[in-house]
Parts: sequence; C-alpha cells; structure tokens
Amino acid sequence: MVKLGEMLANLEMDELMEAVQKELDQGTDPVEILKDCEAGMVAVGEKFSAGDYFVSDLMMSGEMFKEVGEMLEPHLAGKTGESLGKVVLGTVEGDIHDIGKDLVYIMLKSGGFDVIDVGVDAKPEAFVDALKESGAPVLALSCLLTTCYDSILNTVKAVEAAGLRDQVKIIIGGGPTDESVVTYTGADAVGDDAQSAVRICKEMM
Amino acid sequence: MANQLYQDRAQKIKDTINFENKSVTTCYMGQAAPAAHMGVKMKDFAMNPVINVKTTLDYIKEIDAITSVDCLNMSVNGMRSDHGLPMAWLSKIKMPGRELPDDSLWQVEETGVLNQEDYDIIIEQGYDVVFNRVLPQLLDLNELQESVDYQQQNGQKNAQLFVDANLPAVNSGFASPPFEVLCGGRSMSKFFMDCYKIPDKIEKAIEVMLPGSVQGMLGSVNTNIGNGSWVGGWRGASALVSPKIWNRLVWPGMKALAQALIDNDHIATFHLDQNWDRDIERFLEMPAQKSIINTDGMTDLRKARKILGEHTAIMGDVPAPLLATGTTQEVKDYVNCLIDDIGPKGLFIAPGCDAPANSKFENMVAMFEAANNWK
Ligand code: B12
Repeated sequence: MVKLGEMLANLEMDELMEAVQKELDQGTDPVEILKDCEAGMVAVGEKFSAGDYFVSDLMMSGEMFKEVGEMLEPHLAGKTGESLGKVVLGTVEGDIHDIGKDLVYIMLKSGGFDVIDVGVDAKPEAFVDALKESGAPVLALSCLLTTCYDSILNTVKAVEAAGLRDQVKIIIGGGPTDESVVTYTGADAVGDDAQSAVRICKEMM
Repeated sequence: MANQLYQDRAQKIKDTINFENKSVTTCYMGQAAPAAHMGVKMKDFAMNPVINVKTTLDYIKEIDAITSVDCLNMSVNGMRSDHGLPMAWLSKIKMPGRELPDDSLWQVEETGVLNQEDYDIIIEQGYDVVFNRVLPQLLDLNELQESVDYQQQNGQKNAQLFVDANLPAVNSGFASPPFEVLCGGRSMSKFFMDCYKIPDKIEKAIEVMLPGSVQGMLGSVNTNIGNGSWVGGWRGASALVSPKIWNRLVWPGMKALAQALIDNDHIATFHLDQNWDRDIERFLEMPAQKSIINTDGMTDLRKARKILGEHTAIMGDVPAPLLATGTTQEVKDYVNCLIDDIGPKGLFIAPGCDAPANSKFENMVAMFEAANNWK
C-alpha cells in the first residue's frame, strides 16, 4: 500500500484522495486505510506540538481526514474495530468558538475514540444528558473566553448534581485555560493542544 | 489652539516612534472598559454615541488625574460597534440589549455571507458588487445612515473634547486587510480550507480589493486627532496560518497598506492579535521608525526587540486576563519587568489588544503608574 499517512501528514489533499480511491478499487481493507490515515493524523499532531505546523495545517488535515472518512464510510459498515472508549465533547455555555473543539474532535476520532459532540454554547444540562445517554467516562470541555470560566464551573457542578462525578473524568482546554482554571472549576486536567487531548483521554480510560 | 500639555504629549508620540522619548509613553486602550467602572449599563454605553464618548472621556480623565495617560492608541468617536465593525470582517455584530443581555459585551458573529463563487465575482466585477449585496444582511442601512450623520455633525466637536482634555491619539484610522475581510465573510474554517485549495483565486481577489482598502483607510485617518492608522492582523496571525499562506496571502496586503500610510506621512500601527514570533523580522521590511507593532501579550517582545532593534516601535502588551483578574502588584510586576527587559525607548505601555470590559480600574491605574514611575 502507498503511504497514505505520509500524504496526509504532508497535507497533499488531491494525491491522498486519489490514492485512497485507488486502494479501495484494488480491494484494500478499508480498516487498514483508516489506520494508515490515523497514523498520519498523529504525525500532524506531533508536528503541530513541535511548532512545525500551524492551526491552519491542523484544520486542513482535519478536513482531509473527514473526507477520507466519508469515502470509507460505505465500505466500513461497522468494521472500524475496537473503540478506545467514549468521550463527550463541547464548547461551554456562552462561548461559540468551535475551531479548537473541532480539532480535538478530529484528533480523538482519528485516535480511536467514539466522540459525542454536543456543539457550542452548550448548557450544563446538555453535557449531563449526553453523559447519561452515552455512559461516557470522559467529559471534554472547550473554553476560549476568560468570561466563561464560570460555565465550566457550572458544568462540573451539574455533573456532580446528577450523581455522575465519580464515574466521569473532566478535562478542559482552549486558549486561556491552565492549571489555575482546573483548580477554580474542580475539573480533573487541562490539555494545551488537540494532541494532548488524546494522550489525556488514553490515561483516563 | 491646543494647549501646551496636548502639544507636549503629541510630540512624545512622535519621539517614541523615533526612539527619542526620554521616558516610556503611556497609552490608553479600552473600548469596553469604562462602562462598569462609571456605572453605565453596557447597553447604553454600546448603543448611544453621546453616552459612549462622555463615559470614555470621564474614565480616562479619572486615570489621568492619578497618573499621566500620555495618549490614546485609537481616537474615540462613539461609533456603534454594529455599525463600525461589520465591514472589517463581513460579520454581524450582536449588541447588548438587542440580541444579548443588557450588560453583556457586543459580539462578532461570523455568518458566512460569502460563497466560493464570490471570489470570481470579486475578480471579474469588483469587490463593491459583493459588498453591496451582503451589507444589508449585516446591518440596518437606515441606522447606519443615522450613525454616519451623527459623526458628520458631531465628529469634530467630540474630537475637540479630547484635545481640551490633553489626550492626543496615535491612531484615528482603521484598516482590515482583504485577507481578514474575506476570512470573516467566509468564516474562518471555510476560508482557511480555501487558502489551501484555491490560493490563486484568493490572491487575485485580494489584489482586486487592495486599492479600495488603501483608499478607505487613508480616508479614515484624521490628522487633527491622530496621525496613524491600524493595520489589523487577527486571523492572519503567524500562529494561525502556515508560512505558505502567510507569505502569499497575509503579509503582502498588510505591507501594502502600511506602506501607503507611510508614503502619505502617516504612522502605521500593526494591530496584532495572537502570536507573530515566526514572522517578526518581516517588519524590518518597512522603512525605519515609521511603524509600531501593537501586540496582545502572546508575541514575545523580548525577541521582537532583539530582532527589530530601533527600527519599529512597540505598543503593548499587558494581557487582558491580567487586567481583569490580576492584582495591582501583578500588573506592576508585569510592566516593570517588560520595561526592564526591552527598555523605555520606542515603547508605548498599553493594554494588550484591548482592555476587557471587566478590567479592574485599579489595574488600569497600576499599569500606567508602574510605567510612569519606572526609574
Ligand atoms: C476565530 C475567533 C473568533 C471567531 C470564532 C469562529 C469559530 N467558529 O470558532 C468569532 C469571530 C466568532 C469570535 C467571536 C468572539 N471572540 Co474570538 N477569537 C477568535 C480567534 C481569532 C481565534 C480562535 C481560534 O480558533 N484559535 C485556534 C484554535 C485551534 O485554538 P484553541 O481553540 O485554543 O484550540 C487549541 C487548544 O487550545 C486545544 N483545545 C481547545 N479546546 C480544547 C478542549 C480540550 C478538552 C483540550 C484537551 C484541548 C483543547 O486544542 C486546539 C488545537 O491545538 C481568537 C484570537 C486568536 N488569534 O487566538 C479570538 C479570541 C479567542 N476571541 C476573543 C473574544 C473576546 C471574542 C468575542 C467576545 C469578541 C466580540 N466582542 O465579538 C466573541 C465571542 C463570541 C462568543 N460568544 O463566543 C478573545 C478572548 C479573550 C479572552 N481571553 O476572553 C480572543 C483571544 C481575541 C482577543 N485577543 O481578544 N472569535
């Protein structure tokens, strides 16, 4: 098989799509194709953490991964293999920034997690409902506004009030979040980029 | 005729850009900061130009009575955000008391008014065709006309209030480079994908738009109030886009706008959000001592000073979260440390980007006091 992961890591959109189609035509196992692309996403994440890639590159790789996913979808039909676990993800109430959240979504997904995305400006109840419905053991909150720290706090409280706090680990991230916000809100951990979200979720599962 | 203090302060602005200032220059910025401290509802502050101008002026005077405010980053004219900003990002602005609660800040809302085909229309028929189509989707044209009329009738009078209060401004003009306009109009995620997939088209569209941007910007500078203009760098930050995109689609537009200002004897103030470390040496391409980089706390100013030397003045960069949640001692430490490290020459101490609505008054004072008292 040609190096799909490398094409993805080099952001070669047209080449990648052509190559994926060719592999499918030749009868290559779609699960293998997906795995190769996932490896490419990990490489992209590493380049980003190292400062060699920038936000737009992450977004472009996410777009490519999504398109590959769409191409593979009809061929995969439940064959994606074992999921590493479920994560509920969203941007907290009052905040509509979704670019970072969407990158976390893509990295978690390509890292093998099942992600339930509740969207932006999400009320604490929306997170709680999604946790109850999915039974996910990890809640990931994105927050870009210093004025929305209290929305994180309220979400943590709502998880407590629903009696789920001891079954659910809560991680936060996005622009201005740091350890002090973890302390302030009673969350469990903070990640500073989309790659770290994957690492932390693996630790928490 | 402006009095002596006004003239001294206006001269200090020039001296700072020329690296001839004797002490660090304190520079006010805070479009939303005055409301809470002055006990004015955000709704009234944001929607009523008369209240906006008066509240802002009184707030700055209150600081200036305690410790000198040498100048303003941007002159104040009371223009409503929902009338002034939609053109910059082709986005709607939600306002307090209208779409938002009375005491909330106005918010930019990307609505994605541009389609991919619009690049072709801009290239073939000009930007105005697209602009005139989308503008009514972003604001009420009758209200806009009222705002424009208000400015025509009261602009000069309001400007004089600041002259009388001895508060010159560095900038009165504003430019959002075509890259930023298109990015807001398409929405950031779609636009960044376009930058990878159809860069040729975007480059051409930017070329077509640029003369209009230059003209609009030059028209917005009022030399009686502030002889400079912002050249905005928001979504084009080095941290956000790859070098390929930056070199081809971001920097040429910013540079052309700044050069046009300098050619017309104005000051170019690069208003830079986020981190610009990767490309900081590119600002050396501008003529020496004619421009300012106005950063928000994320660009490394120690590195910037090392690379730019006495070529480009620096305006910044007390971080917004520090002004909102820090203690006065933390603010003072930040300012002292910055001046210790990069020196007072060619330096305007100002809030990074903009002092937020929940800035503590005592932190604003502490910021300027520390700068004025630096030995
Ligand atoms: C694009 C943008 C917008 C767009 C959003 C478009 C969109 N669809 O998201 C629009 C124009 C709508 C917007 C609006 C506003 N914005 Co805005 N915006 C930005 C901007 C330019 C980029 C943000 C971004 O996408 N960064 C890139 C992403 C990838 O970074 P990130 O989100 O931090 O995510 C990374 C990591 O943090 C991490 N991560 C993110 N989430 C999570 C979650 C977990 C669990 C983990 C582990 C990791 C993780 O992974 C990501 C990838 O590595 C920033 C300034 C800047 N240049 O950063 C301002 C900025 C965030 N905005 C700001 C403000 C103030 C606003 C407004 C209030 C402005 C206004 N008055 O209109 C409104 C608020 C609207 C609202 N209610 O939310 C301020 C915030 C200041 C503050 N600290 O509070 C900033 C910093 C600009 C500034 N300097 O003033 N904005």
